[in-house]
Amino acid sequence: MRRLIATLAACGLMATPVAAEKLASTVSSATVQITSSFDGAVLSLFGSIESSDPNAIATGPYNVVVVVTGPLQDRVTRLKTNSWGIWTNTDQVTFRKFPSFYTVLASGKLDTIAATGVIEAEKLMPIEQAEAASTDQNPFRAYQFGTELVRLMTAEGHFAVKEDAVRFLTATAYVAQVTLPSDVANGPFLAHTYVFKDKQVVAEHSDGFTVRKTGFENFVFAASRQQPLLYGLVCVVLALGTGWLAGVMFRR
Amino acid sequence: MNLFFLIGMGGAVGFLSGLFGVGGGFLLTPLLIFSGVPSPVAVASVTGQVAAASTSGALSYYRRGGIDLHLALYLILASTIGAMAGVATFSLLRAMGQLDLFISVSYLLLLGTVGILMMIEAVRTLLRRRSGVVVRDKLPSQHSWMHGLPMRIRFKKSRLYISVIPVLVIGVFIGWVGALLGIGGGFILVPALVYLLRVPANVVVGTSLLQVVAMMCVTTVLQALTSQSVDILLAFCLMIGGTVGAQFGASAGKYLRGDQLRALLALLVLGVAIRFGVTLVLAPANPFSMAVLTAAGVQ
Repeated sequence: MRRLIATLAACGLMATPVAAEKLASTVSSATVQITSSFDGAVLSLFGSIESSDPNAIATGPYNVVVVVTGPLQDRVTRLKTNSWGIWTNTDQVTFRKFPSFYTVLASGKLDTIAATGVIEAEKLMPIEQAEAASTDQNPFRAYQFGTELVRLMTAEGHFAVKEDAVRFLTATAYVAQVTLPSDVANGPFLAHTYVFKDKQVVAEHSDGFTVRKTGFENFVFAASRQQPLLYGLVCVVLALGTGWLAGVMFRR
Repeated sequence: MNLFFLIGMGGAVGFLSGLFGVGGGFLLTPLLIFSGVPSPVAVASVTGQVAAASTSGALSYYRRGGIDLHLALYLILASTIGAMAGVATFSLLRAMGQLDLFISVSYLLLLGTVGILMMIEAVRTLLRRRSGVVVRDKLPSQHSWMHGLPMRIRFKKSRLYISVIPVLVIGVFIGWVGALLGIGGGFILVPALVYLLRVPANVVVGTSLLQVVAMMCVTTVLQALTSQSVDILLAFCLMIGGTVGAQFGASAGKYLRGDQLRALLALLVLGVAIRFGVTLVLAPANPFSMAVLTAAGVQ
């Protein structure tokens, strides 16, 4: 009997921290429309941490990390070297299903928010995404070319790690802001939120949103992909028409 | 990219092309590449602009009867095959990541050679004029080994009875180079027709222009189909700027002597060649670069 009580107590102790918190979160807009005058957008991500037990109150202190991932692409990183006096691409590593956009937003320094190993286990940092996407067998090359790829993506505003981008409104409610650059890729985006307490993940939640080109630019782009023959012919007609018209207008 | 910047650049290049009587592709493609347009997009989009720039010229030569349609037909058929090979090579090089290198080296060699030849010719004419000696250019001899080749065909308008083989070889080569580099190739085709085939001066420019229009149209469609890197908005801005600029260039050209024009053009061509040479030799600011592999979203 005493052993049974001890077992139950142990189960209870173990179960308590697992189901203690839950996260309710949302994104300020479900679709981002890209018009011809689009020069980037700022989205807000809101969330509130609650206790899963209705009688208990969620007590922090909490930390929040939001990872926003864009549509996946195949990318290649190339290295130029000097051979016979000419700089040429001589080496490359391909990254399959690599995010076209990747931003880590946090409420503080990541190494103080999370225990050692948690960031690595969840593949939170951009370089870990690159290493996972690399098709090269050699881990050193995957790291070397991956680091350069992340640096290039960061320089173009598609990758970022912002450790001050999540702000707590109360002890349990937060708001985070993510900036999409003007040449952001079209497609589905995912915002995955981790809630940390005592350097461990206690709750997670995913929200999606879509970035979509609209208007004339989207029409032209879609035509070039779906009706390439017609697109080419229209371009030819435009060329011949422009040339002919100029000839008529300036004949004298 | 800025709309007015593109129209302005098209206009400036159009002015030069009207001034010197060249298509302008060999200036416009490098300019776009130097100003940050990815080379696949630059090459494929300039193709459309060259077609537009050559159309009005080809039409006016046609009205004056300055086109050998029979010869042009053979050239067009051959250059279509060349353009197909060129577009295939283009895609292959791009997949290998060597397209930029190939374009730079080709431009360096092509423009370097043409520029030096033009410069020598222009300087010689200028010196001769200064010394006051009037020398009539030697006419190229009437026959060469090319006229001994089999499969001879009579081109009535050009008053030629020559083997079809050199005609087709020239056509295929021009088509291949044009598709790869985004140039009409008029500045190669005209000398080739004059010096290799002995096409008379009254039809050579018109025939070359018609061939450029047809070949660039074919190449534009092929690029749209295979590499999908034709940017119709970019091409249209360049077309508008280019065709208008060409008209002003043509009227400005009347105030300059032929040999001066050729010397200036040679300087321009050499300048572009040197610029390509410099990018090849100088250490890049960053040895690493990235590109999207999936066909969608090249830019």
